[in-house]
Amino acid sequence: MRPVNDVVVIGRDAPAWMAAAAIVRSLGAAGVKVRVIELPSLLKATDCYSALPALDGYHLRVGLNDRLVWTTCKAVPVAGQRFNCWGGAGAPFLHGYDREIADAPLEFTHFWTKARQDGLRSEFEAFSLAAMAARAGRVPVSQDGASLRATFGYNIDARSYAVLLRHCTLGLGIGAKEATLADVEVDGDRIAAVVLDDGERVEADLFVDASGPEGRLIGRLPGTELESWREWLPCDRVMVASARTLQPLPSFSQISAFAQGWIGLFPMQNRTSVVAVYDSRQISDQEMAQSLPSLARAPVNSEVAVSPLNQGIRRRCWVGNCVAIGEAAFSLEPLDAVQLHMTHNCISQLMALFPVEAGQFPEAQTYDDIIRCVASNLRDFQILHYKLNHRIGELFWDRCRETAVPETLQRKLDIFAARGHVPLNDFETFQTSSWASSFIGHGLMPQSFDPRLDAIEEREQIAEVHLRMKAVISQVEAFPSVEDFIAPTQQQGQARAAPLRQEQL
Amino acid sequence: MGEPLDIVILGGGTAGWMAATALVTFLPSSRCRVRLVESEEIGIVGVGEATLPQMKNFNDAIGVNEAEMMRATKGAFKLGIEFVDWGTKGSRYIHPFGAHGTADTAHVFHHRWVRALRSGWESDIQEYSFAVQAARMRRFNFPSTDQAAIESTFSYAYHFDASLYSVFLRGLAEQRGVIRTEGKVGEIVRDPQSGDVRSLTLESGESITGDLFIDCSGFRSLLLDKTLGVAWEDWSKWLPCDRAFAVPSERGEFTPFTRSTAMEAGWRWRIPLQHRTGNGYVCSSSFIKEEDAAASLLRSLDAKPLAEPRMLRFQAGRRVVSWEKNCVAIGLASGFLEPLESTSIYLIQVAVLQLLPLLPMKRIDPRLRDEFNRLIDMEYERIRDFLILHYKLNTRGDAEIWRYCAAMEVPDSLNHKIEIFRHSGIIKRYHGLFSPPSWLSVFVGQGLVPEGYSRLADTEPEDDMIAGLDALRTTIRDKVGQMPSHDDFIADYCAPESPLAAVTEEVRP
Repeated sequence: MRPVNDVVVIGRDAPAWMAAAAIVRSLGAAGVKVRVIELPSLLKATDCYSALPALDGYHLRVGLNDRLVWTTCKAVPVAGQRFNCWGGAGAPFLHGYDREIADAPLEFTHFWTKARQDGLRSEFEAFSLAAMAARAGRVPVSQDGASLRATFGYNIDARSYAVLLRHCTLGLGIGAKEATLADVEVDGDRIAAVVLDDGERVEADLFVDASGPEGRLIGRLPGTELESWREWLPCDRVMVASARTLQPLPSFSQISAFAQGWIGLFPMQNRTSVVAVYDSRQISDQEMAQSLPSLARAPVNSEVAVSPLNQGIRRRCWVGNCVAIGEAAFSLEPLDAVQLHMTHNCISQLMALFPVEAGQFPEAQTYDDIIRCVASNLRDFQILHYKLNHRIGELFWDRCRETAVPETLQRKLDIFAARGHVPLNDFETFQTSSWASSFIGHGLMPQSFDPRLDAIEEREQIAEVHLRMKAVISQVEAFPSVEDFIAPTQQQGQARAAPLRQEQL
Repeated sequence: MGEPLDIVILGGGTAGWMAATALVTFLPSSRCRVRLVESEEIGIVGVGEATLPQMKNFNDAIGVNEAEMMRATKGAFKLGIEFVDWGTKGSRYIHPFGAHGTADTAHVFHHRWVRALRSGWESDIQEYSFAVQAARMRRFNFPSTDQAAIESTFSYAYHFDASLYSVFLRGLAEQRGVIRTEGKVGEIVRDPQSGDVRSLTLESGESITGDLFIDCSGFRSLLLDKTLGVAWEDWSKWLPCDRAFAVPSERGEFTPFTRSTAMEAGWRWRIPLQHRTGNGYVCSSSFIKEEDAAASLLRSLDAKPLAEPRMLRFQAGRRVVSWEKNCVAIGLASGFLEPLESTSIYLIQVAVLQLLPLLPMKRIDPRLRDEFNRLIDMEYERIRDFLILHYKLNTRGDAEIWRYCAAMEVPDSLNHKIEIFRHSGIIKRYHGLFSPPSWLSVFVGQGLVPEGYSRLADTEPEDDMIAGLDALRTTIRDKVGQMPSHDDFIADYCAPESPLAAVTEEVRP
């Protein structure tokens, strides 16, 4: 049995370095050698990676000090995302990164649903530690002995993050070469070699395709055509620009719907990244560029970049000796902070399924099954925003509401509407509280609650609701502001209360 | 909120009383009223004498005192199932309720073991399982709550008398408000328009109406099958056993595990309780005559039988839906999988616990019904595949049933699982029964050792790794040696009260 020892990562930007570093950190000691063929970067100065809290797990895996991300990548910690202008009676809402309370017999959703039926006026969000931290411009760091837990993700300057990862990866002794591909030699359902622009012919036991949506390697192999998700995610363009820095810095990103798509404002230390995702059949690139400042409610600098968007998944993501990760495997919108997570998740699966024998890859089918699960769950989370919009009378949004969604999502919508429960699948990224807060935020109220709630005495139910609200308020007070978090000062422990800045963006 | 839901449970037994107890424990009387109809003339199957660790969660949740329950049901502890003669004749392995390796390395442990094997350092994987070693040495203690300790790497279940468990639960349920009606059902009255069941007419003439009916009538499946005609999905091509002969014997060796011994036409269970041992032969009538099977069972007993063998007929499979109209089948009325992995009571438990959050109001919400059916389907299918694995991986070749099973086509989902494990030792994780440690112990126990192993196990020098394995083996042996014996533990924890104590009890005012 000949082991897989030579791995070549072909790709660019953060995904390529993320893969290379993870493989070497996990398997270098086992004799696995990694080489990176670095394709020209596609990142623009305006690009931002919006990342979920789980990225800290990746940093831990590769031994990257999280602090470096805050100090060198103009990054801002975000406790969640605020959804604005998605219509209907629902006010803007925050999907905060709360951590589940393990072993809670009944989720808080049920207490809240019942209390609302009995006349409670507080929004669901008022009981989310992360959402309230975000509204107060604070960062939900971990607190000893606190009853509720929340966490935060990252808005990172994409170029500096790629540079940081490149630096860390090369520091692990990984060989790298900047090149473009002259040819990909395919032999049946494997890659025989990759020929670089300088004529070098590169062979490997395993190729990792981290080239992004193009899928420079995987796309050359049979059976890897893209299965489109456009019927549910109708936008086909991304426009990226930047605006001035927000002061003080908010600890949330804002996602606002407009007539033909949505626009995201992602606060960073040196600027605000402005990302518009839209349907080019409804609005031209030029019109979009013109509308950008008014939609962003801020002057937008002149450098505006447009790229196409092709949401979908390859029918096979691992063929022969070529495994696709991140956007080379499946594409989603830059929404819900999933971009780096897609790469991170693929890498984790690859580590667990790392092939034991060169030339034979039965692991590929398991990888495909799992990635399809991961990707469909993420896709469903993005679709829910479109499906539950209430922008009535606008062609684009009316159609989104009317389109039937995948069965897996319809089931979640149905069971949540009926009972406030979220039937999770295997390999879910977002847990119950994320689904619940997004459903409720978009106006999908549970018609009833778990019958077991009725077995709890009414005054205990009321106490539970009150205690939780109190806990949120007192815990939020102790969180640092974004500025204090980024550049800790002596007063960090007693950070001053910042005014609510919900309307600032 | 409106009127409470009137729930009628048809059939006592383990399923009926578990459902009844859970309903009145978790829901207030303002939400539902529970009636249970059973007849003392109809016996219960009660073969589910061996359970899974989830049973403890159920008992804890309904507020059962463990020692009291075990005393009442003549129960004992169970750390796993020993499979004898399954992979090959003369082989023996335990599927433990626990992991192999330490708590923090369990995910990579078996890869290290394979690596050691490939380098020529042969050892039995069972030596690295705390639960297996405790079972082998007939020891028992509660798992440690220190997550890092090797003594935390297992959980436990019970052996008990299932009919006594029903009696025990009946006591609780009646105390908590379940109304029991003695009687046999004569007629089942349906709404001519909707087809829903409206009432049960007892032979006494009494009519019991309800909004929701729970069919716990066992194999007869009076509501789902006989009344609503819900189709049956037959799985006997994969699980050919269709008969069971059950016989109790005098107390013999008191093992903290179930034993399953492969036989000429199926397999035999052995379940030690405090006062007796439960035995049974699950076999296929295509491969053995009934009288031969009964005789074979009696010959194999290690102690005197206490009754004549009782025969049960069944077919592996399940109803295509468990919830149809306003009737929900729980237990044998919803399907049957042989008790090879002690899943019967588990299946009752999940059905009850899935029904609670999805329990309808006066009108059935089809969304909730469909979700219940989907969840139950998933449980059945996953357990089915795990059971088939035991048969498929045999290499006995000494009897027709074993040759048939080794050669049979299995579901694709299972085939892929076997092939990827054979090649790389990979076990895909999913929610629900069974977790990777269970798959691992059966794969390896049946003789399937992976050809390759994860590179994650290749990161330390071979000698260090082997020294680590060796040290772990020693630690487990030492720690298990410090545990009390299962006999002593039971005597101390939940044996029947001594006659003297009973007398003292009586003379108290």
